[in-house]
Amino acid sequence: MSFLAPLFFAAIAALGVPVLIHMIQRQRTDLVEFPSLMFVRKIPFHSLRRQRVRHWLLLLMRCAALVLLIAAFARPFLRSTALAAVTGGSREVVVLLDQSYSMGYGGRWEQAKDIARGVVRDLAPADEATIVFFDSGAESSTRSTTDRASLLAAIDSAELSTGTTRYGPALQLTQGILEDSDQPLLEAVLISDFQRVGLDSAGSVLLPPGTVLTPVSVSDDSPTQNVSVAGVSVQRDLFADRERAIVTARLANRGSEPVANLRVALELNGRELESLPVSLDADGPATVTFAPFTLEDSAMPISVRADADRLPHDDVFHFTVAPGDVVPILIVGRPGNTGRAANLYLRQALAIGSSPAFAVTERSVDQVTAADVEAAGVVVLNDVGLPAGAIGAAITRFVEDGGGLWLALGENARWPGDDLDLLPGPIEGPADRDGRGGSLGFVDYSHPVFSVFSTPRSGDLTAPRFFRYRPLRVGPETSVLARFDNGDTAMAEHRLGAGRVLIWTSTLDTFWNDFARNSIYLPFVHKAVEYLADYEAPTSALTSGQVLDLSAYPGAADLDVSSPSLVVRNPSEDRIDAGSDGRPGFIDLTEQGFYEIRDSDAGEADPVLVAVNVDLTESNLEQVDPQELVAIVTGRAAGDRSLGEARELAPEDLERRQTLWWYLLIGALGFLATETVMSNRLSQAELDLDD
Amino acid sequence: MPTAATASPGARFIDPKVLVRIGSLELAARFVVEGFINGLHKAPYLGISVDFAEHRGYMPGDDIRRIDWRLFARTDRFYVKQFEADTNTNFSILFDVSKSMSFGSRGVTKLDYGRYLAACLSYLSSRQRDRVGIVTFDDDIVERVPPSAKHFDVTLHTLDKIVAGRPGALGPPLYKATEFFKRRSILVVISDFYEEPEKVLDAIKPLRFAGNDVIVFHILDPAEVDFPYDESSSFADMETGQKIPVVPDKLRDEYRELVQDHIRSLSQLCSQNRIDYAFVNTKVPLDHALFKYLAMRHKMTKVR
Repeated sequence: MSFLAPLFFAAIAALGVPVLIHMIQRQRTDLVEFPSLMFVRKIPFHSLRRQRVRHWLLLLMRCAALVLLIAAFARPFLRSTALAAVTGGSREVVVLLDQSYSMGYGGRWEQAKDIARGVVRDLAPADEATIVFFDSGAESSTRSTTDRASLLAAIDSAELSTGTTRYGPALQLTQGILEDSDQPLLEAVLISDFQRVGLDSAGSVLLPPGTVLTPVSVSDDSPTQNVSVAGVSVQRDLFADRERAIVTARLANRGSEPVANLRVALELNGRELESLPVSLDADGPATVTFAPFTLEDSAMPISVRADADRLPHDDVFHFTVAPGDVVPILIVGRPGNTGRAANLYLRQALAIGSSPAFAVTERSVDQVTAADVEAAGVVVLNDVGLPAGAIGAAITRFVEDGGGLWLALGENARWPGDDLDLLPGPIEGPADRDGRGGSLGFVDYSHPVFSVFSTPRSGDLTAPRFFRYRPLRVGPETSVLARFDNGDTAMAEHRLGAGRVLIWTSTLDTFWNDFARNSIYLPFVHKAVEYLADYEAPTSALTSGQVLDLSAYPGAADLDVSSPSLVVRNPSEDRIDAGSDGRPGFIDLTEQGFYEIRDSDAGEADPVLVAVNVDLTESNLEQVDPQELVAIVTGRAAGDRSLGEARELAPEDLERRQTLWWYLLIGALGFLATETVMSNRLSQAELDLDD
Repeated sequence: MPTAATASPGARFIDPKVLVRIGSLELAARFVVEGFINGLHKAPYLGISVDFAEHRGYMPGDDIRRIDWRLFARTDRFYVKQFEADTNTNFSILFDVSKSMSFGSRGVTKLDYGRYLAACLSYLSSRQRDRVGIVTFDDDIVERVPPSAKHFDVTLHTLDKIVAGRPGALGPPLYKATEFFKRRSILVVISDFYEEPEKVLDAIKPLRFAGNDVIVFHILDPAEVDFPYDESSSFADMETGQKIPVVPDKLRDEYRELVQDHIRSLSQLCSQNRIDYAFVNTKVPLDHALFKYLAMRHKMTKVR
């Protein structure tokens, strides 16, 4: 027994008060004058009686009341946990239940729920408990409740999510609950399959001192069997003027045993188009390429589904394939073989790639037509000047209407002197660089063309050597994207109307530089063309847990997100709000499958399809030792109850939790009340005797 | 009760209610006193007084010289002329005025009660033509009024001005008082007798041995008899000032017993010494005490 305010015990001196009341209060201070004490003197024994206590019980009650009162003010508390348990040793229990989709492996989920129910049923009546369901996020049921029924109901109604395992948010929520708790004993029970992938997020969490974290693993030591469809790639080609798609699925066997003749099916709108058998080595990958199929005019919901194994969530991969993901490019070069030779590297670079695919049309400057220009997405004037006449005007109009024009300035790029609309400034004659030639000295990595090279080891733009170029005089308003090491412009961007013009002041072949033989040439050409074509790669699949921004989603940008006629259906065919957390146009993607978004006022227009897949990091069932996790978040080994029981709470906390003063106060009041009743009865009895 | 309109200074001691009762006893009292005096004074001293008191019938043994012949000539009967000194005796009151007598728990102190008693007795005696006197004492003689037929008023005046203030003792003043009463007298001792019975008797006996008739009135307040105190208190002796803390609860019974023993002892010793003893509780009306006294005197007279 300890006391927060032991100085109050100085008031114990007040114990003399009831004693004095007993010893003195009965003795009147009035002096009784009596004629003679002759007879009184003969009875010495009785004359001493005043020093004796008449009612021992009353005295003891008064003293006890005072002692209890003083003890209550001294704010006592018990340091012994066993004793504390008697007076208020109830627990705050947080049950953390992993509902990530990996818990769907075998019967782990039901097993986990059974364990959670058992924990709830084992709670003492005064124990408070909270169920925390977690995957990559965490949410709690009714916090710190003693209502077993609501806890069990919460467990019963819980379902597996499509999220991944992250221990951090759940443990942080637990930390908050335990820190807010008034209970003297803090416990947490973590029920999970303990995947290693979720461990990183737990590093910043430290549960309150004394918390006993008990890990309960529902995984077993048997070999895992899990094949997941890790992704798909779609090759496109044109067949009979129809765009075709060739789907190649990547599969990964994350189990420790090989899998033979696994059936993998390609489904369109839930209807199987083709199925192929595949065999995978233990912990090995495989690919399956399906036969090409013709694309329709709208986005098609495609799924690749492997036969279900013990973890079914990752056995399917949903994606959409939309037609028209091809950028038409018109390359205008010099006539004859020299022109074709100059286009060689450019043509080859553009022939590679499927996302997007580039449909390259080569024309010599004397053969190009206005129709060619209108059909193009991007026009490349490779070492040629602006065609004179109607073609030149068509190109100018093409740019003004939003088209992209790439000018590669070589020896033959002669520009009409009076038509500088497409140029930021006049072009001068070729300039040579001596010796090893020049190199790029400045690159604007923030520009979409060069941003792909911004990270380390993503390409050395200083490697290409430039021996000759066409100096370009540009004004300060012109955006220079790259300069040579001598400060002259290597690449500039010029805007005309709604279109863009990129000017490359050297050639795109190997005549004036060795850029085309460099590894960065291909991505450079692709990025430049995509930029000019204002190309945005369509998103074929999103991951569960992401938030879909409709305004930025290809195909959905035209939808009015605040319109009441906007209908969003999730893969379960339930209509959901098109606004996450009150923000219109943002949709929480929580289910695996295809979300369907349409404007009901738009009639028969095709809906926008959004394919959502589970995060495949969760497919990695590699486990972490639960003790390791416990050690991280508690600073000690799991199940170390001794520390928990002996945890050093601040004396103020102990006193506040035990509230022993309250019992003492009630005891004191009880004594005083009893004393009052008794003393009144005794007084009455004496008065009756006197009468 | 005090009556300011009364001319006599001692008149306030004669309670009208008391006098009513006394009035009804007057004839008996006179009979008792006179018979007592006649029987007591077989050879009374010749009266030297010339104060005519009354005539009475001649009785054998009377001096024929005292026959009123003129009256005989008128009535043809023998009457004897009686004078004051001849017909009465000395009646003196010895009144204890020690401090303890000033105690009273019911508004009337023992001193007051004694005053009433003394006044009544003096009045009675005066009505009987006795010579009335008084001696007040505490541990010494305080005041003395010699018995005289004319000292009734002085006696009452003396009673009126009594102040109890000093400790008392029976022995010395009573020994001294013995010297005052050379003639046979009726002596009434009024006191609370807070001394051992033997000592009390030692003090009174000389008066008796001098030939006086001694009547002892033992006056006590009811509180002194019953000890009704409840609270533990410090009790102070009024005469000595000594303080004793007392818890009266259990002491009460023993105290009462001691007081009763004291009263019994006094009564017994007085009886053995032919001293009339009367215990008077101040809660008892005064007339009861007087009646008790007269009845006792009557009985004693018969005995004698």
